[in-house]
Amino acid sequence: MSSRLLSLLVFSLATSGLLAQSTPQTQEPEPSVQSLLERIQRLEKRIGELEDHQRGQAAVSAGSSGSAAVDNTKAPQTNAVLEQPASHENAPSTTAVREAERHYPSLQIRGFGDVDFSATDKKGSVSGFNLGQFVLHFASPLSEKVSYFGELSFTAQPAAYEVQVERSIIRYDYNDYFKISFGKYHTPISYWNTAFHHGAWLQTTVSRPEMVRFGGTFIPIHFVGLQAEGNIPSGGLGLGYNVGLGNGRSSILSKAGDSGDANDNRAWVASVFARPARLYGLQFGGAVYRDKLTPQPGRNFEELITSAHLVWTKEHPEFLSEFANVHHRDVLTSNTYNSQAFYIQLAYRLPWQENKWKPYYRFEYIHKPESDPVFLDVSDLVGSTVGVRYDITNYAAFKGEYRNSRIGKDEPRVNGGFFQTAFTF
Amino acid sequence: MAYWKHASIALLLGCVCLSLLENLAGQNRDVDVAVVVHPDTPVSNLGLTEVRKVFLGDRQYWSTNIPVVLLIRAPVARERNVVLKIIYQMSESQFKQYWIAKIFRAESASAPKVVYSNDMANDLVTAIPGAIAFIDARDVRAGAKVLRVDGRLPGEAGYPLR
Repeated sequence: MSSRLLSLLVFSLATSGLLAQSTPQTQEPEPSVQSLLERIQRLEKRIGELEDHQRGQAAVSAGSSGSAAVDNTKAPQTNAVLEQPASHENAPSTTAVREAERHYPSLQIRGFGDVDFSATDKKGSVSGFNLGQFVLHFASPLSEKVSYFGELSFTAQPAAYEVQVERSIIRYDYNDYFKISFGKYHTPISYWNTAFHHGAWLQTTVSRPEMVRFGGTFIPIHFVGLQAEGNIPSGGLGLGYNVGLGNGRSSILSKAGDSGDANDNRAWVASVFARPARLYGLQFGGAVYRDKLTPQPGRNFEELITSAHLVWTKEHPEFLSEFANVHHRDVLTSNTYNSQAFYIQLAYRLPWQENKWKPYYRFEYIHKPESDPVFLDVSDLVGSTVGVRYDITNYAAFKGEYRNSRIGKDEPRVNGGFFQTAFTF
Repeated sequence: MAYWKHASIALLLGCVCLSLLENLAGQNRDVDVAVVVHPDTPVSNLGLTEVRKVFLGDRQYWSTNIPVVLLIRAPVARERNVVLKIIYQMSESQFKQYWIAKIFRAESASAPKVVYSNDMANDLVTAIPGAIAFIDARDVRAGAKVLRVDGRLPGEAGYPLR
């Protein structure tokens, strides 16, 4: 019995050893799944070429009969393929090349949506579902150097949906160092504002930090005007810049001057950031924004916002932090007011269950002087958020979080549970 | 006794299967992946960090008149896995999210073009000005412009893409 087992063992080891040695010597490897897939793809490509060939013949015969306009730029290519059917192996496949060529305009549409549930112990609050924002964005290269980008949002209101043009940008790229664009932007005064925009699915948490909340007034979320941006030659430091000139805030501080400026003064913004090549994932930078506000006729305030951010965008861990100081000066009385806000967010993509779980924590803080006549709608805030994100697929996620915050001075703390399913399509 | 007999046979069969699988997998392991560009691209050597910058879409022009056209293999291909692991340092889902976000930020007009075979990558990189692709070094066509990465060509010691 044992001799039979021994002979089987020797046979097995000898067989596997021979197989291991023989494979590199033979020049024909075993067909792997990958190579079979590639063969299928080559055959599919060949069928495509043959179909293209047939279409080309049809086009040539139609052209010779003078019944249709023939694309002059593509006809020679078609003929070249017809003349060289045997040498296709080393000549670029016209079908593949034509498919890969960029056509102008080339509109791509993507959507973002979210459905939310919230419940808090704040007096008078009502728990329940809401539809969040339905967002469509449009990207279309118009030529090799000119492209358009648009973003529309649909927000549920008690009586109807509010439709907003969130961004509408036409951009001309001269090179990597200089790109100029015109339109409506998310102001590059804040990292969050220019990283996640209206895509709830893109951000880890259910909501944005209060200092960059949509409809909030702490910083100007939108900016209408022109902007230059690009890289700064800096080797491994990876410097980049944004410089903008525009209308600034309208008389309603949360809105940009889409239909015209509130006063005869332009706002400007400048930001510089670094993405060091050796610390892939790290970004830090700062920005300055200056404007003149006219919240009421005859009341003018100078506004100067300075901000800084430090982020680590990889997910093991993810670290986001931002700080902003908003300085107001009453032009009439020369009284000055300084308000500060910051947040720190830490998240970690857990390595098990296909990296689907991502717990997170965020602390945020806002302070404003009681006497600031511009920030009547801004309240002091100290709050913590703890939650978890679960990615159902590559394009949809569940998020659940608990928030504990104090809004306003000497106000009681509010506890709340928030749930969201956010997706892109 | 019968139990030990079956266990030994199962163990032996397991050894044989493992050996075969290892042998098959070894055929594709440790083969360098070449960075191939269109012949007119005014670059012949890039640092790994510069290759990353190009593939992250942070560098979008070779020169003022030649935009970068990124070509990347479809999922499952070994070249794609090498690119995701070494260049992007991302999982497949993170890679998809990265490009959705990049376009959503209006930082890029389109994501990398997907190619389904090394033949197709060879075709397109030769035909499209500014194109750059990762191709298994064994499948690179004669005459193609292969970039040095960190000063090294595929096959040389210390070449980083494998």
